[in-house]
Amino acid sequence: MPPASVPLSFLALAGAGMWAFGLGAWFGADRIIESPTHPGAVGAVHVGMLAFLTTAVLGAVHQFAPVVGRRALRSVLAARITLVTMAITAWALPSGFAHGPERLIQLGAISGSITVLLAAWNLSGALASKDGGVPVAGLRLSIIYLVITVAFGAVYAFDRQAGWFPLLPNRVLAHAHIGLLGWLGLTYVAVAEKLWPMFLLAHRPHEWEGKWAVRLLASGVPFIAVGLLFEIKALAWIGGIAAIAGLGCHIASLASAIKHRRRALELLHGFLFVSTAFLIAGIVLAVAAGLADVDYTTRSRLVSGEVAALAAWLGLAIVGHAHKIVPFISYTSLRAKGVRTGPSGKPLMFGDLFNLSLAKATLALSAGGFTLSLVGILAASTVLLSIGGAAIAVGAMVVTYNLAGGPRRATQAARTASTSPQPTPSNIPAHLIPKGVPQP
Amino acid sequence: MINPPETDLVSEQIREKVLGALSNVWDPELGLDIVALGLVYDVRVESGLVEIDMTLTTPGCPVSEQLPNEAQEAVIAALADSAETAGAQVQLNIVWDPPWTPELLSPLALEQLGFNKGP
Repeated sequence: MPPASVPLSFLALAGAGMWAFGLGAWFGADRIIESPTHPGAVGAVHVGMLAFLTTAVLGAVHQFAPVVGRRALRSVLAARITLVTMAITAWALPSGFAHGPERLIQLGAISGSITVLLAAWNLSGALASKDGGVPVAGLRLSIIYLVITVAFGAVYAFDRQAGWFPLLPNRVLAHAHIGLLGWLGLTYVAVAEKLWPMFLLAHRPHEWEGKWAVRLLASGVPFIAVGLLFEIKALAWIGGIAAIAGLGCHIASLASAIKHRRRALELLHGFLFVSTAFLIAGIVLAVAAGLADVDYTTRSRLVSGEVAALAAWLGLAIVGHAHKIVPFISYTSLRAKGVRTGPSGKPLMFGDLFNLSLAKATLALSAGGFTLSLVGILAASTVLLSIGGAAIAVGAMVVTYNLAGGPRRATQAARTASTSPQPTPSNIPAHLIPKGVPQP
Repeated sequence: MINPPETDLVSEQIREKVLGALSNVWDPELGLDIVALGLVYDVRVESGLVEIDMTLTTPGCPVSEQLPNEAQEAVIAALADSAETAGAQVQLNIVWDPPWTPELLSPLALEQLGFNKGP
């Protein structure tokens, strides 16, 4: 596994990205409602896609791929450089879109290209593993889609100055769907096949749902992209049906994991249920945008709503899983530093590394924020979108504070325990008692 | 899954100590000890060698590196407590066959995970 600082740095940066995304939706609400192609709207969307979602997913994949592929990253230094170039991309590009100058967009495009090439090379060793099953197979494809997404973005970024071709809405949507479904969506669908059975203690009698989710989603994306790019409706529909079938299998996989679970429902499942509801909303809105006989403005709102719903699907899933992944990474790091007991004096548990009430508040704020944002976009309500954005921003601050503060609280508790004159409970094994504490 | 006790008294004492120590190794995600979770398949004591077969809930388990180390540390520490057992060698094997399934959870573990709450 890479040093804890690698994935945790990505995830901390993603926390800041989620906060900025909420602020972008809040303060850019009028421009987002006015037109989804307004520079302010494009800036806010790219903060969400890059600074929040891509930064978080890239960090998680740097942790996940070596564990599941059972092969190390090619270079920890390259992972740290990837973080720096990702930060430059995620913040320069949206700033350039929203405020200019144009050179910021080009800087973002160049640093984005470096980021994905570095990440793809660095992860290639772990992803070459032959025994990683569905998760690794899906990740191989999703990393390819990441490279394609950024290649599209880089061409579009330079096209703004060069004027090789007009950046029509259908071309922008092709880029958005490769990123949302091919890169972010496929990564989550693949990784969930490992995480859900593990976190729910579920041993399912079959795994066809997960396999077909990856196959169908991965094969549908090129058709959607080409269909949108060249305005070939039949191709876009073929791809869309395949992707919807794949996402349906993904939902069936979640249902199967819940049915065969061996532990009670908990906070993570709250995030998963709300996240899945947004996925279903995204699918419904995509179908409505494709089929409904409506004017350009209404169709534009439906498509914006679809993109917002898919972002909410992934965003809530990331925030929910972060409450599992961050404590795990922190736990390993704390144990290595000799912190072996939690604040209660009992052996350190993942649950000691975050505050459950704050985690519930995060769920309420982020779920409420995304819901209001989606309704605001569909109803063309600046007020609702603004409130939704503010709730997302506050939710981001709460989750970042909660997860970043857990290890500090545990370290402080261990220090207090090591200097406390009180006797240690006799049920703690000797090797778990911090040095300096009198043993019973 | 755990073998019947060894015939001689010392081996039985060692075995009890080992299981006692392993009962104090906790899965940090589930908050249950690894014996209640059914992760300990076998404890064998032969000629001063303590051999433990244990598994994990899944090969990519978040604590796949941490938990076996903690288990080994706990057993070594427990055996070092008394002169009769201090010299025993400990070998911990991670085995994947048979794979762990939730059916191996003890009734107490099931109850603590929110199942089988009883009447």
